[in-house]
Amino acid sequence: MTKVVIDPITRIEGHLRITCKVEDGKVTDAWNTSTLFRGFEIFLKNRDARSVWQFAQRICGVCPNPHAINSVQAVERALGVAKVDDNARLIRNMTEAAQIGYDHILWFYILNAFDYVNVPDALNAKPATPALKAVQDRLKAVVQSGQLGPFANMYWDHPGYKLPPDMNLELTAHYLQAIDAQQKANEANSILGGRYPMVHHLIPGGVTQLPAYDEIMFYKARMQQVKDFVDTVMVPDLLAIAPYYLDLAKTGKGVGNYLTWGVLDEASQDPYDRLFPRGGIFDSKLELQKVDPGMTRRYTMHSWFDDSVGDGKHPLDSGQEPIKFTQLPPIEGEAFPEGKYDWTQAVRLTDKDRPMEVGPLAQVLVAYLAGRTEVKQLVDSTLAAVGAAGKPEILMSNLGRIAARVIKAKVNCDNAVGWADDLLANIGKGDNKVYTDLDLDGSGTGVGGWDAPRGALCHYVKLNGGKVDTYAAVPPSNWNLSPRDDKGVRGPVEEALVGMPVVDPAKPLEILRVVHTFDP
Amino acid sequence: MNRREEDEMSVFPGLTRRDFLKCCATLASVIGVAGPMAVTSVAEALEDLARRPQVVWSLFQECLGCSVNLLQARKPDPAQLILQQISLNYHEAVMAPAGFQADKSFTDTVNSRDFYYIVEGAIATGIPEAMTVAGRTSMEIVKDAYQKAKGTICIGSCACYGNIQAAAPNPTGAKGVGDYLRNEGGISNAVVINSPRCPGNAEDTLAILVYILVNGKLPELDDKGRPKFLFSQTVHDNCERRGHFDNGEFVEQFGDEGSRDRWCLYKMGCKGPVTYAPCPINRWNGDISWPVKAGPCIGCSEPGFWDKLTPFYSKESGIRTPGDISPVAIGEALGIATAIGIGAHAVVQTARGRMGKGGPLSKERGPVDQPDHWKKQSEDPDDTKPGSEKGGS
Repeated sequence: MTKVVIDPITRIEGHLRITCKVEDGKVTDAWNTSTLFRGFEIFLKNRDARSVWQFAQRICGVCPNPHAINSVQAVERALGVAKVDDNARLIRNMTEAAQIGYDHILWFYILNAFDYVNVPDALNAKPATPALKAVQDRLKAVVQSGQLGPFANMYWDHPGYKLPPDMNLELTAHYLQAIDAQQKANEANSILGGRYPMVHHLIPGGVTQLPAYDEIMFYKARMQQVKDFVDTVMVPDLLAIAPYYLDLAKTGKGVGNYLTWGVLDEASQDPYDRLFPRGGIFDSKLELQKVDPGMTRRYTMHSWFDDSVGDGKHPLDSGQEPIKFTQLPPIEGEAFPEGKYDWTQAVRLTDKDRPMEVGPLAQVLVAYLAGRTEVKQLVDSTLAAVGAAGKPEILMSNLGRIAARVIKAKVNCDNAVGWADDLLANIGKGDNKVYTDLDLDGSGTGVGGWDAPRGALCHYVKLNGGKVDTYAAVPPSNWNLSPRDDKGVRGPVEEALVGMPVVDPAKPLEILRVVHTFDP
Repeated sequence: MNRREEDEMSVFPGLTRRDFLKCCATLASVIGVAGPMAVTSVAEALEDLARRPQVVWSLFQECLGCSVNLLQARKPDPAQLILQQISLNYHEAVMAPAGFQADKSFTDTVNSRDFYYIVEGAIATGIPEAMTVAGRTSMEIVKDAYQKAKGTICIGSCACYGNIQAAAPNPTGAKGVGDYLRNEGGISNAVVINSPRCPGNAEDTLAILVYILVNGKLPELDDKGRPKFLFSQTVHDNCERRGHFDNGEFVEQFGDEGSRDRWCLYKMGCKGPVTYAPCPINRWNGDISWPVKAGPCIGCSEPGFWDKLTPFYSKESGIRTPGDISPVAIGEALGIATAIGIGAHAVVQTARGRMGKGGPLSKERGPVDQPDHWKKQSEDPDDTKPGSEKGGS
């Protein structure tokens, strides 16, 4: 029996320790520990209803848009506003689509690729084009300088790297192109939002202003470039890499429950009718279940809060106080985490208190079951391309999570330009309305529920006279990186790790891969 | 000269000589080295580095927004920066290795004492275990690395001042790096360069790095630890909507006709008049946009803005006006904070003229007190000559 601790888990947003028990070459138990706490729900108390979304988007600098939209929507609904003007819907969709485009490109290449692409091995490639030769020369210069920088100390000699040198070089070249592609997406976001990350165009009641014609055209041009990258680089890369890593389709299934609150509004602004609609899947059965953010429950027996904070309560009834910190076992030594071991609270879905996996896989599976044509076609053609036609259940795996992210990126980018055209059409008809005034000094309870790129995200707010009485945010990592709940049931990442083969516990590449498929 | 020859002329493979000089020109203008000699000085300083300067980038109580913005940099772009201009030995969101192997990259570089230290994120001082990496608290890590670094730059308002997690009641006792080091850290003369804003702006950070590499010393700082060459003017001073303020043309409600014509957002609670930042000048995302293009400024470069300048979108905080503003009576109509802000800048502008892109010459400024680890690099008395001191080794 070996204890494997990875701290820090790198190439993620946030701070994470993973502890695994490895026996006979396989993970037999796992614990995830978020090692960062900031206390958003505590300092959001008593804040002004107009200001609160600017705080809330700082929960995540990788995905501020969905946090901002969640917060704005929660406040709007608390004040009795269920729909915004159609132009505001389109502008919110447009910036969200840019966010999603950037985020999935960032994840696929910059955060995830080094688990599969052996960068130093690219030096052994025979470059097929001058462009690839230039990338190889650039890489050679770094290696010859003796200053490997971010590539130093990685286990590049691990037998889990399967790609031939030519593909390693090509993927390294695409990594560099991806930096440019994600910049394009963020330019699209910032031409409307002011900057990225941390946007300035949202406000409860709509958006701050109607974009100018040239800004909308700029957005369209940029998102077209992002779409081109996804279509001509990212999708082919997925299909090229997948055959080398098909064993990952057999591992990392996890809890088999999937949840999405939905994202990207249609004209109805009904969460069950979104481009990626709201819904759930339980117990690995590919049947669509109706879910609602009111079904979220929190548990804190294994989190660094008093047991009574969670105890199966609704997010607005729980909070983040009192804190009960206990020490983690040291990295070295034999001890495994016991009792409280995480700053993340365990969240579960009633009525069966299920741990739920969230993310593009959940979003794509739910859209597939809901019969969204573009998703269905893409999923079916992807399955056929990897020799698994008619078997969507193989997506419930490590490889499935990777594939789903690429499929979602494509559907998203295919639609982005269309929303810009819809906005232009509305303006052409004389509809310039982007904001409806609302009484921000009111009281009430409201819920967001609009997925972040990495999964189900929901903000909850109780307003009292225009001030926050209680605020709760349940981000995707709260679901995926849940610790054990009060009944001892593992969270989704913990569960997905169990059973994973580990060839060399001193170089736990396989563990990194599983964790990264969740985009924590 | 053909493309290939140009390539060979550059010390940075993959970056043509022309691109390289363009990049130097931009940096020269941002760091305030002016004149025809400037580009050459910056270029010489960068080309003379036999080894790329090593950088360790710590993430503490943060959201990764500053790093995400670094990925949006254009001059140089992130690949040029990471592959050719610095050696980014430790950055948890970028680096390939994890766990022990990542920790080795950190330890090896820090113990070499030959690195620049960049911090993103606040230090948890009230609940130290609210922020740990590899079992060490942010307090332990930052103190160790600061003492061994050739210089420490705090990127983003979290590392500078604690920022959002320090908003009342500051549940974890979050603090800026300088504040922590000088107090709980017990290093009373600690000096860090603060490059605030939320998120930190990539071009600010690169400009500061280049300033140090070119001049071999730290730039002159204001009383909040910010380089004066970047943070000496208010957002209001250089705002593209400023003409509408002067004409008394204000957005009265979001989405109104004035908002379509991009009138002044002052009445919608814009904090531009009390916010010192180069936002309208070096802007964001490759110079294409900036916050006030889309909505009111929230003052994200000012310490404590979450408490001092809230509520946003309201004139109730930060800048108080008793009634409607008459452009001919700004002095009487504006609140005290604004009056001070505008007053201070009137002096600066009278002295120097309104800034265009880039700041005034650094040699106009007097010397500042430097801690020992900075002094090591600037023993040349003629420190006003750009490029007379080289960073790195």
